[in-house]
Amino acid sequence: MSMLEIKNLHVTVGGKEILKGIDLDIRAGEVHAIMGPNGSGKSTLSYVLAGRDGYVVTEGSVRFKGKDLLEMSVDERAAAGIFLAFQYPLEIPGVTTMTFLKTALNAQRKARGEEELDAVRFLKLVREKSKPLNVSDEMLKRSLNVGYSGGEKKRAEVLQMSLLEPALAVLDETDSGLDIDALKTVAEGVNALRSPERAMVVITHYQRLLDYIVPDVVHVLSRGRIVKTGGKDLALELEKSGYAEYGADAA
Amino acid sequence: MSEKETQYFIEAYEEKRAALPGAGGWLARRREAAMDAFREAGLPHRRLEDWKYTDLRQTLEKAAFAPAPAHEGAVVLPGRRSASAFASIDRHVLIFVNGRYRADLSQVAHLPKGVELHALADVVHEQWAKDLVERRFDDARQAENIVDLNTALMSDGACLRVRKGVKLDKPLHLLFVAQDAGASHTRNLVLLESEAEATIIETHVGEVASFTDIVTDIAIGEGARLNHVKLQDEASDAVHLATMRARLAADAKLSSFALTLGCGVSRGQSFVLFSGEGAEANIDGAYALRNKQHADQFCVIDHAVPACTSHTLFKGALDGKSEGVFQGKVIVRPHAQKSDGRQMTHALLLSRDAAMNAKPELEIYADDVQCAHGSTVGELSKDSIFYLRSRGIPEDEARRLLVLAFLDEALDLTPHDLARDALKLLVSEWFGEVAL
Repeated sequence: MSMLEIKNLHVTVGGKEILKGIDLDIRAGEVHAIMGPNGSGKSTLSYVLAGRDGYVVTEGSVRFKGKDLLEMSVDERAAAGIFLAFQYPLEIPGVTTMTFLKTALNAQRKARGEEELDAVRFLKLVREKSKPLNVSDEMLKRSLNVGYSGGEKKRAEVLQMSLLEPALAVLDETDSGLDIDALKTVAEGVNALRSPERAMVVITHYQRLLDYIVPDVVHVLSRGRIVKTGGKDLALELEKSGYAEYGADAA
Repeated sequence: MSEKETQYFIEAYEEKRAALPGAGGWLARRREAAMDAFREAGLPHRRLEDWKYTDLRQTLEKAAFAPAPAHEGAVVLPGRRSASAFASIDRHVLIFVNGRYRADLSQVAHLPKGVELHALADVVHEQWAKDLVERRFDDARQAENIVDLNTALMSDGACLRVRKGVKLDKPLHLLFVAQDAGASHTRNLVLLESEAEATIIETHVGEVASFTDIVTDIAIGEGARLNHVKLQDEASDAVHLATMRARLAADAKLSSFALTLGCGVSRGQSFVLFSGEGAEANIDGAYALRNKQHADQFCVIDHAVPACTSHTLFKGALDGKSEGVFQGKVIVRPHAQKSDGRQMTHALLLSRDAAMNAKPELEIYADDVQCAHGSTVGELSKDSIFYLRSRGIPEDEARRLLVLAFLDEALDLTPHDLARDALKLLVSEWFGEVAL
């Protein structure tokens, strides 16, 4: 069964049509890469899945684990298993990363009718998940993303993902702003989460990230439509030829 | 003056003056002069710049407060959490009911040698009390003149004197309970001699239509230190008017923090005068308002001598149709070089009908100073709410987290750790009462 089924999705932002009929079928265990030039609609697709205000679906449907995703609120989607790793994670002064993680995890558990974790069990879990990502206790005590470097912010996103264990993770330009070492750490974190029960959508402009997170399927998005779908070699082709042949403004 | 409420106060004075503390002495003459001045000026109103955003005359005329009765019997503390917020702190407790001290309800353990704690009537004959009561600051007369009403009618209060080099062993908690409707006029006097230290916690609670008029006159000697924590959580039809006047000698330090949660209309006035070099004053606070609540903070800091430091930060969350006011002024006198004065106010509007009026001012006559003031009014960031919700946090909880984070910066300035934790708990529970 499909994990995520997108049919003929049309989306406008501020009255302008950005997505013009997207069809996408993603099964559990698969990693799909969505590549495309700037302005092709990549981030719009990720925000529509997460449920951000201002993104209006004018046509089409999105089903997640058989349910109508578009009927669900932002936090309901998260509790149902959708996770968006932000291109630019927000800084939240005054809310420590630790408090944020605990609130988020317990809110999701509560929404699913599971028992909330007490402080001791939570601390043990967060330490266990933080270690491989080099997220220190000191970082966890700081305000969420405040004063974090680009790499730290992305590691914090992957930590959230690892803790929340979503069924579908959407990674929006996770490679942006990362040097090669930070990229490797983040990619290792993401790869560790690959599993037969979990699907991932990796959105990226560049092929580089896909050297480290190897996709099963690659889609090329241009001007609001998926114009080509292929295997992982499609990413390498794009690296050589660029997006020009897909009718996009070369970036 | 013919206004109804002014007349109420004048009649109360005529009726009670013989029974008020200090009858027959200097204070009786001082009361007479104060009542004359009050008769002349009447209650302050919107046409006075210092009262532009809080029309006390209109507020009090609408409410028409008769004097609160003396309450002799048992007292039931209001159900609200604020009444017991500081219960876990090891402290001396003085309880005032309808503005009058109730020795039978209070718990004051053996005080250290050199600490004198009395009700107002017991100290009015002493010179230090006279000095404190008679001293005017005159930096903002329109605001300070209302103290005349208190001087004329003050019936009781806590008077603390800490002798040279002595530390008050534990916080002194003044718990003011408005048990019956009506007006009460309370005067606290605090004298810390050089190198003395004390912490005062002040709570105001009530479930009735009360008018609390409270003035606290403070003198802090050389190198002495006073911490002050105030919690105000009275009923929605109550009016609260509080004035603090503090004079700081060289190297003295005052740290005051006020949390305002209650009252229909409240006004907190702070006057600080530096009279010796190297002193430091922190006048900070937070407020969380909803419905039609109105809270006004008025703060004047006078850097009359060089090398003193002042810090003021007020942060507030305004929901419903509530209204916040901040009027502040830092004055740096011509010879007061090396002054450091900061005055900031930040408000978060949680509803479209809430409003904030902020007027921070600097009056600087010296050239070698560091002064800053600032004011912001904003809303919760939609992007931040989306980010938190995208992790599964429901919208109400996301908003609560962000508002608490916003207020925390101010609450962290509470100059007593356990009191700070108690205030934070109250603020977090504030959200539980009504969903945002």
